[in-house]
Amino acid sequence: MSDSLDVYLTLSGILFAIGTFGFLARRNAISMLMSIELMLNAVNLAIIAFGSFVEPLRADGSVIALMVMAVAAAEATVGLAIVIAIYRNRRTPLVDEYDAMRR
Amino acid sequence: MTLPPDLVAVLPLVAAVLAAIAVLLVDLALPGRRTAVVLTALVALGVVAFAAVAVGGEERVAFGGAYTVDALTTFLHVLFVAIIALTITFAPDYLVPRALPVGEFAVVLIFAMTGAMLLAASTDLLLLFLGLELMVLPGYMLAAFHKSDGYSTEGAIKYFLLGSFSSAIFLFGLAFVWGLTGSTRVADVAGALGAFAAGQGTLSAGLAMGLAFMTTGVAFKIAAVPFHYWTPDAYQGSPTPITGYLSVGPKVGAFALILRLFVEAMGGLRADWLPVVIVLAAVTMTLGNLVALTQNNVKRMLAYSSIAHTGYMLLGLAAWAAGRMEGLEGLLYYGAAYSFMNLGAFAVVAALQKRTGVTSNLGTFAGLGRREPLLGVLMTLFLLSLTGIPPTAGFFAKAYVILAAVQAGGAVAILAVIAVLNAAAAAFYYLRVVVYMFMRDSETDAPAVAHGRLLWGGLAAATALTILLGLIPGPLLEVVGRAARAIG
Repeated sequence: MSDSLDVYLTLSGILFAIGTFGFLARRNAISMLMSIELMLNAVNLAIIAFGSFVEPLRADGSVIALMVMAVAAAEATVGLAIVIAIYRNRRTPLVDEYDAMRR
Repeated sequence: MTLPPDLVAVLPLVAAVLAAIAVLLVDLALPGRRTAVVLTALVALGVVAFAAVAVGGEERVAFGGAYTVDALTTFLHVLFVAIIALTITFAPDYLVPRALPVGEFAVVLIFAMTGAMLLAASTDLLLLFLGLELMVLPGYMLAAFHKSDGYSTEGAIKYFLLGSFSSAIFLFGLAFVWGLTGSTRVADVAGALGAFAAGQGTLSAGLAMGLAFMTTGVAFKIAAVPFHYWTPDAYQGSPTPITGYLSVGPKVGAFALILRLFVEAMGGLRADWLPVVIVLAAVTMTLGNLVALTQNNVKRMLAYSSIAHTGYMLLGLAAWAAGRMEGLEGLLYYGAAYSFMNLGAFAVVAALQKRTGVTSNLGTFAGLGRREPLLGVLMTLFLLSLTGIPPTAGFFAKAYVILAAVQAGGAVAILAVIAVLNAAAAAFYYLRVVVYMFMRDSETDAPAVAHGRLLWGGLAAATALTILLGLIPGPLLEVVGRAARAIG
């Protein structure tokens, strides 16, 4: 365990970048959803790191992290519902085949 | 008995949640009674608007400064209620022939409104984020409302993926801004940033990055170019009344977020973000209009036109940053005018699509002036207003924003010139629809369908507002003036 805030923030930045890359590079809607979750978890890591290293932010940090988790869960619920709905129509989870309106 | 002051401040929100629950209960108790559901929704919305105006009588700060009721809050609350009410009036004509449930539609829409109302009153970054999510999550559900329809779900998944991607970006920025300024309260963040602007210390790289991430996230939400890719598909795919709502509600909501963020929290740094807004506005209005020129589908065309309108509204923000209060007033006025004229246009499209299988292609509008003269004339009015031709609301709003930008001078004045050129180019694609309606022969000989009384009521309201805001701008101007002074 490192005792430097910067190390954790860097890790959070790297996780966020991996999530962003995954979102932009993957074609599968479920993978894209997972990438978004990774980005949100990177955010949570940054929040917790600030909370535990900066004394005045300690109480706020946990509350904000909990709220982010709640929002992430709500978002995943709606997202998976939409993915199921489109899978029933198209029989594929690949987003680049969702191009009916661009033809 | 007196209520605690914090509770009084959130009464409009409580009323909105209760309104949604009331509609849900009526829908449950009287299944299939659409009229009862719609009437309940409209009456409940009336109560919400009344509560918003009553509570907005004086300035209130609640929950330790996280929630503020000022003139801006009240203006936005009433505007959101009006947007939702208008959407509900013209939705049944589209939903019923497609066997889509009107009650659920109204409930989800009202829940989206509670998010927008929370957003309008929040003066805390975290609460702003929660309001934003509460507003857009029902929006994703609405976009996928026709779940057996390939277009609707396809638009919804694009809207959802890009929407939550941008939320994550916004949140990453929020985490750094909170961690480095030490607070999520807009006033405290403004104080910390204002110190940098006054020359005490330099803006750290982390904080600058945080602000940049938040700006990017917001730019996605208002569909500013180059963050607009989700817009055309989401708008074209969604059921038409929902497209009408999506092009108006979340946009005005996101602008509420922009006002709290850029004007209140980052107001001290306005010299730093002004160039960004100028470039965003210029690219947004130009690209939106250029691509709209090539569209043959009216819903898709209106989607690109809504991108262009985002650009005009950003022009108002730029004018404010350059020192003209009128810019902010113009932005708010534009928000209201745009809401009513755009909803009106979508109401006509929805009315034409009452017969299932009718697409929103340009061909649908051929000969409309002869088939259904009244709808043709109303559509012409809304399109003229979107173009910005007097004496409509669109003209006054556009003129006000552009005038403020010209008075601001410098780069903002150049942006105003770009806006004028854009408005001229936009006339082409708006008027093309008018040409189709009055100068082309109808492609179909199917008899006209009868439209519901509710739809005519909604259209009448949108028409009246579009004309009145153009002819008698005084009263609303006074309201937006107070709202602008509350934050600027």
